[in-house]
Amino acid sequence: MNEATVTTAVLGAWLHRFAAAVARHKQQLTDLDSAIGDADHGTNMDRGMAAVAAAVGDAPSGPAGPLLKGAGMTLVSTVGGASGPLYGTFFLRAAGAVGDAEVLDATGLGRALRAGLAGVQARGKAEPGDKTMVDALLPALDAYDEAVAAGEGAAGAARAAARAAAAGRDATTALVARKGRASYLGERSAGHTDPGAASTVLLLEALADALAEEPADDPAGVP
Amino acid sequence: MTQPRVGIVVVSHSRPLAEAAVALAGQMVGGAAPPLEVAAGTADGGLGTDAVAVAEALTGVAARLPADDAGAGVLVLMDLGSAVLSGELALELAGELPVPVRLSAAPLVEGLVAAVVQAGTGAGLDEVAAEAGGGLAAKQGQLGDAGMASDAGEPGEAAAGAGDKEPVVARVTVVNPHGLHARPTATLVELARGFDAAVRLDGADARSFMAVASLGAGQGRELEVTGTGAQAAEAVEAVVSLVASGFGEGTGEERAGDAGEDRVESRAEGTTEVPDEVGDEGRDGQVPQVRTPVPASATTRAGGLPAAPGIGIGPAWRFSDDLPPLPDEAAADPEGEAAALRSALDGVRESVRADARAVSAGGGGAAAVFEAHGLLLDDPALLDPALDAVWRGAPAAAAWWASVDTAAARLEGLADPYLRARAVDVRSVGRQVLRRLLGGSRAPRRAGVLLADDVAPDDVARLDPAQVTAILTAAGSATSHAAILARAAGIPMVVGAGSAVMRVAEGTVVALDGGTGEVEVDPAADRLAGWERRAGAVRAGREAVRARAHEPAVTRDGTTVLVEANVRSTADAARARDEGADGVGLLRTELLFLDRTTAPTEDEQLAEYAAVAGAMAGRRVTVRTLDIGGDKPVPYVPDLAEANPFLGVRGLRLALARRELLDPQLRAVARAAADHPLAVMVPMVTTVDEVRAAREALDAAVAAVGLGAPPPGLEFGIMVEVPAAALRAAHLAPLVDFLSIGTNDLTQYVLAAERGNAGVAVLADGLDPAVLRLVAEVCEAAVPHGVRVAVCGELAADSAAVPLLLGLGVRELSVGAGSVAGVKDAVRGVDLAAAAPLARDALGLASATEVRALVADH
Repeated sequence: MNEATVTTAVLGAWLHRFAAAVARHKQQLTDLDSAIGDADHGTNMDRGMAAVAAAVGDAPSGPAGPLLKGAGMTLVSTVGGASGPLYGTFFLRAAGAVGDAEVLDATGLGRALRAGLAGVQARGKAEPGDKTMVDALLPALDAYDEAVAAGEGAAGAARAAARAAAAGRDATTALVARKGRASYLGERSAGHTDPGAASTVLLLEALADALAEEPADDPAGVP
Repeated sequence: MTQPRVGIVVVSHSRPLAEAAVALAGQMVGGAAPPLEVAAGTADGGLGTDAVAVAEALTGVAARLPADDAGAGVLVLMDLGSAVLSGELALELAGELPVPVRLSAAPLVEGLVAAVVQAGTGAGLDEVAAEAGGGLAAKQGQLGDAGMASDAGEPGEAAAGAGDKEPVVARVTVVNPHGLHARPTATLVELARGFDAAVRLDGADARSFMAVASLGAGQGRELEVTGTGAQAAEAVEAVVSLVASGFGEGTGEERAGDAGEDRVESRAEGTTEVPDEVGDEGRDGQVPQVRTPVPASATTRAGGLPAAPGIGIGPAWRFSDDLPPLPDEAAADPEGEAAALRSALDGVRESVRADARAVSAGGGGAAAVFEAHGLLLDDPALLDPALDAVWRGAPAAAAWWASVDTAAARLEGLADPYLRARAVDVRSVGRQVLRRLLGGSRAPRRAGVLLADDVAPDDVARLDPAQVTAILTAAGSATSHAAILARAAGIPMVVGAGSAVMRVAEGTVVALDGGTGEVEVDPAADRLAGWERRAGAVRAGREAVRARAHEPAVTRDGTTVLVEANVRSTADAARARDEGADGVGLLRTELLFLDRTTAPTEDEQLAEYAAVAGAMAGRRVTVRTLDIGGDKPVPYVPDLAEANPFLGVRGLRLALARRELLDPQLRAVARAAADHPLAVMVPMVTTVDEVRAAREALDAAVAAVGLGAPPPGLEFGIMVEVPAAALRAAHLAPLVDFLSIGTNDLTQYVLAAERGNAGVAVLADGLDPAVLRLVAEVCEAAVPHGVRVAVCGELAADSAAVPLLLGLGVRELSVGAGSVAGVKDAVRGVDLAAAAPLARDALGLASATEVRALVADH
């Protein structure tokens, strides 16, 4: 199953789907952020991903690295909030791991995602349980790697990752924030879902949808 | 002069903040200013940081420093959050620079000032960074916080104080007679939630109403209170002293019944009379009250708050079994479902808060029911399982109800009767949320006395007054919209009778007096006969009044006063006509505009206004133009939200700013006026210019619909609600055909007291002489111009107010349809020759209480 199927076009579709999902959930992300942060996560991510989608264009081709690097740089300079450097770093590091490859297999994609996670952790200094996007991203990539090890292709592994990310996101609700603006609230941050974890679920769902042979019924996700 | 070797980059979310900080630092520089660049804000001028911009600033500053100098370098000062992340990322993005770069952990302003000063002396990067890092020392020294200053290098250690690691533990004994029942629990939970600390009572999360209530902590129980977190000590101390204080209930026998929470006593306990907590004097003077003494007997007697007058007798029935079917198929969009659940919770929270405020004005314990309800809405024990299920794909309604059911069942399993009764609260809150989620009606197609935890205005609106003989609620308030609607519909209503209402079996005969709040469950035959006689007497009195409702209301001295109705729909208008209304003094048009995604079209409005006018069969209908503001947001008017909507862009202010809303409405009225006698009335007028603008808009609308001149019947008037409009009525009167005083809002504005706010509700009395003086002002200004003065507002239905308003010169009263007959009756009792001096006397009094006493003595 570990065939090289992840083309630059698929990665472009991922970015488009993520942008569409963020746009669709913009208000919800901002609402989550308004409970425990500065009420800008949805707006910021939407601004950033809209810029990414515009830059990616209709049919990206060639090596995957520049595509992801461009996405990262765009996010860094358009998002404004902490998610700019964090998501920006995610894509920049993933771009570094991909290099000049034009098509990836499931393992290669996993490596790229893992590099992105490492970047996010290095940038945000967040540990699991700090009520951040790491709480969704880390279990997601563990699930991804497990699925690949069990013989799943990239699409199946990404779907498993999305599910694990959702579970991780839900688990953030009970946590007390130790990083980011929410940490100023201390114990009062418990009871609210972390917005960064919520957008991370969108990121992985978008990936799973883009990789799916039969695209999910999600018209807004198709550019 | 020394040449700076260190450059500075300032990273901030806000460009103005960064520039101000730089200016502040610039004042301090004696020597050469160091190279400095700012990377702040987003490209579009918003708040945010941009790592690319930071990297460019680093490159720019580094290029201006001597590369061969070992002490040279760039120091980066940042504000918070993403600024730090962007600073770190910028180091990567910038790649190799000719000089080293260091990120400073110093607070932005203090660090920047220290760094700029130090760099100006020609110091090297190490020194400048150290100086910036010590930038807090002066402030800390001043504030006597030296301990922290010495730890400044390791803020993480300093922040993790003792309270963070070691839980604070204390013990306290429950002293109040009923222990931690609903109200004390609610108070405690609210207190605990205010602290940045996790507090537990014998292991139960003190922020969870369910968890604390489930402790079943009765009098004498000793509780261990533990706290962790930054404010652990304060939180534990506060909780302990609250519990030790007995929650203000005392510790003895004086509160055997916990009145207000369960006012319906059981027959077995042989309770006789529960005193009326709210005196009749001064309360709801507008509702005629019939009081026939009922002999005491050992039967089931109770008390609530009178909300709508009349005697109601009939078999009990309730809505609660009429829950709409719950969806059970998996939901496609968990985010959407979760959002729907949160929005339903928000909606219920809002209405519960409003009810709690209104109810606590009555002074009873019923408000505690609402406070408890409000807490349940935020209770993790209800919310978390529901949200979990939603994220797993369950529809919000099913997930929520399952969680409610589980929680209620857990409470029902407890030994303590008080806590078992809380299951009613949980289900009650659960149902309210469910109704918001699922919408739809409660299908109230039954006869007799409706029992409910509480009723919403739309529940009352759907009731058939011919079938439903009375409404009795566990919670609720006499000033709620539901109560106003019940009065308008003529359905007797008692509210706030306590949760025991929900334990009365369906089919049990219930009798109540909505004028006194008296309630009797399952009365014996002789007492039932007594109730029937009372009902007969009330009916006979009403019949007599109603028999004359269709006749004009003429004072004893022969002056005709128009008694009109306030309506909001064609159905209201038909009822108003049946009740004898001489016209519609206030047609509220908001219903047409709310709860929809686009504004109603001109044709839609024309149809509605013509239908209302048709229902009034030739009597004049006064159409008030759209009166919305930030308190009633509609999706097609963006950015309505305001901090203080009652002092914001609302009423005519909004209409003139949004002509796309006003103009179609005026055109629709103008078209309808070709066939019906109509008047246009604009709300929330403050200035003369506004009235001129509104008048011009009306003239333009008349012209636009092809009518050369205004239709002969079409009148133009304004509402007087803003005190300034009353005070300059002399300037406004020449511009209008009539002035209609909206006493509800005028009273709130004059007395700076919101009617719904329990803390100040007693101030907001329309009979306050300060309000009456403004009414007098309006009448004095209008009469010389031949301009009619009307009053539309609750005050017009207050029988004590009628002689005063007429005495001041008001000649039109517009009230709820159900009050028309009674107000006409009151008008017929007035002699203007006596009322005018009475009113003048009232103007000179000091308080509403004195005014009421004056009228009563008269």
